[in-house]
Amino acid sequence: MRRKLAVSALVILLLAAAALAQRRSQPVDYPFDEGAPVAMPPDANEKTEFAFARLRYPNWQSNDRMWSMRGSWSIDYPKADRQFMSGVRRLTRLHVRSVEQIVDLESDDIFNWPWIYAVESGHWDLPDKQAAKLREYLLRGGFLMTDDFHGTMEWEIMMASMSRVFPDRPVVNIPANDPIFHILYNLDDKFQVPGTVNYPFNKTYEYDGYEAEWKGIYDDKGRLMVAICHNMDLGDAWEWADSPHYPEKYAGLAYRIGINYIIYAMSH
Amino acid sequence: MFEFLFKYPSSVFAKGKLVLLAGWPSWLLLVLALLAAVGLAWLMWKTQPSWSKLRSGLLWALQAAVVCTLLLMLWQPALSVSALKPQQNIVAIVVDNSSSMKRTDADGTRLDAAKKILDSGLLKDLEKRFQVRLYSIDQGLHRIAKTDALTGDSTVSKIGEGLKQLTAESSGLPVGAVLLLSDGADSAGGIDRQTIVDIRSQRIPVHTIGFGKEQLTKDLEIRNVDVPLRALADARLSAVVRLRNRGYGGQKTRLEIRDGVKILAAKDITLAKDGQEQTESLLFSAGIAGARHLNVGLKLMDGEENKANNSMSRFVVVEGRKPRVLYIEGEPRWEFKFIRRAVEEDRSLQLITMLRVTQNKILRQGGANAKELEGGFPTTAEELFQYDGLIIGSVDAGYFSLTQQELIRQFADRRGGGVLFLGGRSSLGDGGYDKTGMAEMLPVSLTGNKGTFERDLAIPIVTPSGKDSLILRLLEDPDKNVERWKTMPKLADFQATGKAKPGAVVLAEMSTPKGVFPLLTVQNYGRGRVAVFATSGSWRWQMTQPKEDTTHEMFWQQLLRWVSSATQGQVVSSTPNPLLADDGKLPIRVDVREKNYLPVADADVTARILGPAGVAAQVKLTPDPVTPGVYVGLWNAPAVGDYVAEVEALRNGQKVGSDALLFRREDGVTENFYSEQNKELLEKLAEETGGKYWKPEDAKKLPTEISFSEAGITTRETYDLWNMPFFFLLLLAMRAGEWLLRRKWGAV
Repeated sequence: MRRKLAVSALVILLLAAAALAQRRSQPVDYPFDEGAPVAMPPDANEKTEFAFARLRYPNWQSNDRMWSMRGSWSIDYPKADRQFMSGVRRLTRLHVRSVEQIVDLESDDIFNWPWIYAVESGHWDLPDKQAAKLREYLLRGGFLMTDDFHGTMEWEIMMASMSRVFPDRPVVNIPANDPIFHILYNLDDKFQVPGTVNYPFNKTYEYDGYEAEWKGIYDDKGRLMVAICHNMDLGDAWEWADSPHYPEKYAGLAYRIGINYIIYAMSH
Repeated sequence: MFEFLFKYPSSVFAKGKLVLLAGWPSWLLLVLALLAAVGLAWLMWKTQPSWSKLRSGLLWALQAAVVCTLLLMLWQPALSVSALKPQQNIVAIVVDNSSSMKRTDADGTRLDAAKKILDSGLLKDLEKRFQVRLYSIDQGLHRIAKTDALTGDSTVSKIGEGLKQLTAESSGLPVGAVLLLSDGADSAGGIDRQTIVDIRSQRIPVHTIGFGKEQLTKDLEIRNVDVPLRALADARLSAVVRLRNRGYGGQKTRLEIRDGVKILAAKDITLAKDGQEQTESLLFSAGIAGARHLNVGLKLMDGEENKANNSMSRFVVVEGRKPRVLYIEGEPRWEFKFIRRAVEEDRSLQLITMLRVTQNKILRQGGANAKELEGGFPTTAEELFQYDGLIIGSVDAGYFSLTQQELIRQFADRRGGGVLFLGGRSSLGDGGYDKTGMAEMLPVSLTGNKGTFERDLAIPIVTPSGKDSLILRLLEDPDKNVERWKTMPKLADFQATGKAKPGAVVLAEMSTPKGVFPLLTVQNYGRGRVAVFATSGSWRWQMTQPKEDTTHEMFWQQLLRWVSSATQGQVVSSTPNPLLADDGKLPIRVDVREKNYLPVADADVTARILGPAGVAAQVKLTPDPVTPGVYVGLWNAPAVGDYVAEVEALRNGQKVGSDALLFRREDGVTENFYSEQNKELLEKLAEETGGKYWKPEDAKKLPTEISFSEAGITTRETYDLWNMPFFFLLLLAMRAGEWLLRRKWGAV
């Protein structure tokens, strides 16, 4: 009986050790470390026409504590913002600040930043007051780009807040011939841009978000106010465009999409 | 009393010349008067040595005056006057026969009063001395036999025209005087200088008798209304109304502008002091394209003596064209987006934009087709001058070739377009404009410094000049508008420029951390207009105000309408006033230009006119001898109603361009205004022609006084003065005075 117990314990220990050894091997190979420090550029205080305004929003609270912790307004911050802006600065004539601007829907400062970016909007939970302010912001002429949320559940969470922002405006697929896809770069061939969680990119989707979706909300004059990038992660593509591990074709498309959205927002 | 003392009317003294009939030399009179004065002084000194100087002096003065008066009487003073020979001269009696003479004053109509004066003796008295011709005056002059022919039915009275006709007709006749009976209401707005000169050259005195109250007790009158003659659809227009009240000072009334039955604008006003003129402005929308027949009216007050002068008509042509404004922007900017959005709301403006997104990409929006501006910013006059306005954003001056720079300058100067320069990091001084020919057209001076554009907040301030500007008018009331501007959000940035150039007007300034600088400055340049809006941060007016607020849109629409609405086409027809009030004369002026807007001096210009009741005419216009490219003509609109003139210019058989001129004739309008007697006009007319203004009650003296005239067939008549009662009474008074003084001093 004792022998049986000892053998069983040994087997369990061996299996556990094997499992542990296998688990430890993954982080070692993972090339995308968001924790690395990002240097503050010397021209960070320059007053410019445009700044990457990142929306800070309240998170969706869930009984699933692990899932609730995942989403955050600050995902990819600040490297994605700064790296994207350096590309915008290089590729366009827009006078761009090198560092981002954090904005929220609590103060009125958001009205000084007519273009805002919300990451992981599948995890946001806008109170009525903030939803009303976002509606006011958009109807005055502001522009919102959302990104990096995936699958059915995150879509529904995004829409739970968005339907408070615009209860009466539909979210529609942006047609391929919309100016936003042609204003600077012709984006006829769009594809799903994966996040680094998909490394080594054998697949490009997360959850059940198999197809990239380009959706939006238009105003009464047919101008896009909200551009929704569902089932893709442009933020990661901006953030890791400098990494040899992140495929260039995804980074290139992410830059072209982002620049088109900015130019559209500044001309429509 | 005057005639009792001096024997003759004052006009004899006014027109006569003093002569001495005794035949003795005048110098002898002076010598004798001097000797008498000296002798009397010597006698006074000898006989009354103890008297004070004051007493001696007074008595001497009285005695000397008596002797001098007697000496003067001995020399037989008289007046020599030119007088009309009896029955050899014509006196023209001209009676105003317009409807204003039918206005009722205290005792009947003005016309009745005039007829009564004539029929109750004045005509007969005049006929005893002169040949009398009776005329009525309205549109022109008409000979009438009796006063019964005066009906007061004419809607027009052109006193000047009538008198001109009279002097022309009587140039070979012995007209000794003209007698005008009128209330002074003149449809033409007065008598022109040339008519006065013509009358004076014939030395015909015009005597005037004024009818009608010199001052009404209770009346509210619109004196004038100024509105633009042409406007774009939906344009915000200002009607400047001049009005005057009698007897309602301090009371409130309502001012309205109507288009038919539709009220376009209205406001309550407080009337100024009794008799004082006041000016009120009223903003209204021009509405859709077409001819707009506006009626500007004041609410009728209780007890008004003239109820027909509370409203006035004006004719505005609202053009259906949609001016095209080209906006070139050198870099993506929020200002660009929000200007486009503001103008999208305006159905009467078209904004075509060029945005330099990258070094190699220009985003074109709003063009008529994909080909428009395909080659970049226009390089020829024909291409650039097809636009009505031009906005230059943050674009380095060096981006434009020298040819393009000169075209931009010519766009305002020769084309007559409007150019708006915006502030920005590549604008004005920072864009190197101070070193180009374009600097000349700017309404502000550039300092030559770089780094004048700063992204710090700036507070807009409306200047006194901007208070009345339609560009900055967000609210109708000018004072409330200025207050509204004080609450406007700050601008996101500013560009420090130099001061406004002479002739330029700063409509708004901005207070910045670096000081106060011009924000919006405008000026005329050549045939066009130029403005500088020295910021790119007005987008905050849109983003930081509630979405319902339309101030940002209004400002930009009004600014771009200022930029583009006055820009004219190749063929432009005009007339000084498209509302022909009581007068069908229509002067037509047509400006013809090539595609590059140089004047066309050899065009065939024709106006085809269509009017009411089948009126149709064709007027061939002739080149103006003074201004190349300008063609003029005159036509007479025969009937009341709306007219349209299709003007077409051809050159070598090819069409240069065309334009439509809308106008309207109305009759019976002007007589309703200025309903008080225009005494000033009648007095001035009499004074300048050597006549006299008479009140109706004094008219019976007229036959005598009218005789003294230098016109017609005259004779010189002499009137003795030595036997005037005045002299005898004077002598008596002087002697009695001396006796009373001596008695007082105990000398008698």
